[in-house]
Amino acid sequence: MDFKDYYSALGVARDAGEDDIRKAYRKLARKYHPDVSKEADADAKMREINEARDVLSDKEKRAAYDQLADHVARGGSPDGGFRPPPPGWDEGFEFHSRPGAGPADHADFSEFFSSIFGNRGGGRGGMGGGTGGGAREAWRERGEDHHAAIEISLEDALHGAERQLSLRAQEIDDQGRPRLVERTLDVRIPAGVRPGQYIRLAGQGLPGHGGEPAGDLYLEVRIAPHRLYRVEGNDLYMTLPVTPSEAALGAHVTVPTPAGAQVDVTIPKGARNGMKLRLKERGLGGRTPGHLYLLLEIALPPADSDAARAAYDQLAKATPSFDPRRNLGA
Amino acid sequence: MPTVTTTTLETAPLTVRELARAVGAEDQWVVRLVEVEILRVDTPAEPPERWHFRSDALQRALAARRLERDFGANLDSAALILDLQSELRRLRALLRAHGVA
Repeated sequence: MDFKDYYSALGVARDAGEDDIRKAYRKLARKYHPDVSKEADADAKMREINEARDVLSDKEKRAAYDQLADHVARGGSPDGGFRPPPPGWDEGFEFHSRPGAGPADHADFSEFFSSIFGNRGGGRGGMGGGTGGGAREAWRERGEDHHAAIEISLEDALHGAERQLSLRAQEIDDQGRPRLVERTLDVRIPAGVRPGQYIRLAGQGLPGHGGEPAGDLYLEVRIAPHRLYRVEGNDLYMTLPVTPSEAALGAHVTVPTPAGAQVDVTIPKGARNGMKLRLKERGLGGRTPGHLYLLLEIALPPADSDAARAAYDQLAKATPSFDPRRNLGA
Repeated sequence: MPTVTTTTLETAPLTVRELARAVGAEDQWVVRLVEVEILRVDTPAEPPERWHFRSDALQRALAARRLERDFGANLDSAALILDLQSELRRLRALLRAHGVA
């Protein structure tokens, strides 16, 4: 696993104060925020600086990270004293904890981050927290809620699915030492989920203390890119290639819908490139079902035979007044 | 292996208390989000104990929490930023739908 230099990610010195870190983060966040950034790798950069800020703005995490950095500088492994994750542990699934100072928004943090901090609560009992065994009995508190993201296929979103999730969580052992433990859950993804929706797994957050219940785990649904369909809220978009004659003369074509059915679609006469046809309520489900939009794309048959070349010639002769460049003024 | 009961927030919306816990905040913070209209509730006249929140509310509450934490934004400015962000995303989606972007 690669060691991540969080100080250089934020462009600050090793002895930077809280204020320097905050300023550096804000400046970079404005530069790389995916909603405003023109940089090609804005998403990746934003993830990197979020992760660096999360670690360096938390005293406990920063101290643990500095310790690991020293260990690496002396030629040690970046896995430090921690057990490296098994291969593919986060395949299609990302799981990270909430920081002490805010919400759990670590769904995009790196494997390196997880290897150090695991599924870690921000408060008591975390890594380097030094909470003793006796003290752990002294308070009663419901466990913290956790957040993660789950990427599923469009088909799974439509039809529902069973998915096995491997989560790594940090727990405190009997001696009060943190350790990473693996757990696997069978999770049922309900049919009809949409991107941005949350699935709640009751009791799967951090354990409670003093007999209080565990927190919950929230999974944010993401839909993996699909070969045919692009998801836009509840709506789906698909490019539908048509021939010039289908576009000009109108036609009936068969189109696959994401739910698995095939439907007949009428291409109107004189259809233009980029024209949008709507298949009502064939998008994603929900209280207000989405639509499936077909974007027409006129595909030219290749002029790769005498007959095809003759047909193009004939078309040109039959439409002498057609000038696609008449508006250019040339 | 344990099989876990799952619900979506669309079928089982969150209470004020549950939403507050989910974002690591106090109940009163969620009430403030409703006051500044970061969150909208179906029944604002009802007492907060009867409010319900779905996925979009959790997403906005998490975003507001991040703006507070990362930029020191107060909730009024966070409300404006979130509204501008949604408008930007809506317009970009419109552009994509027309094959422009």
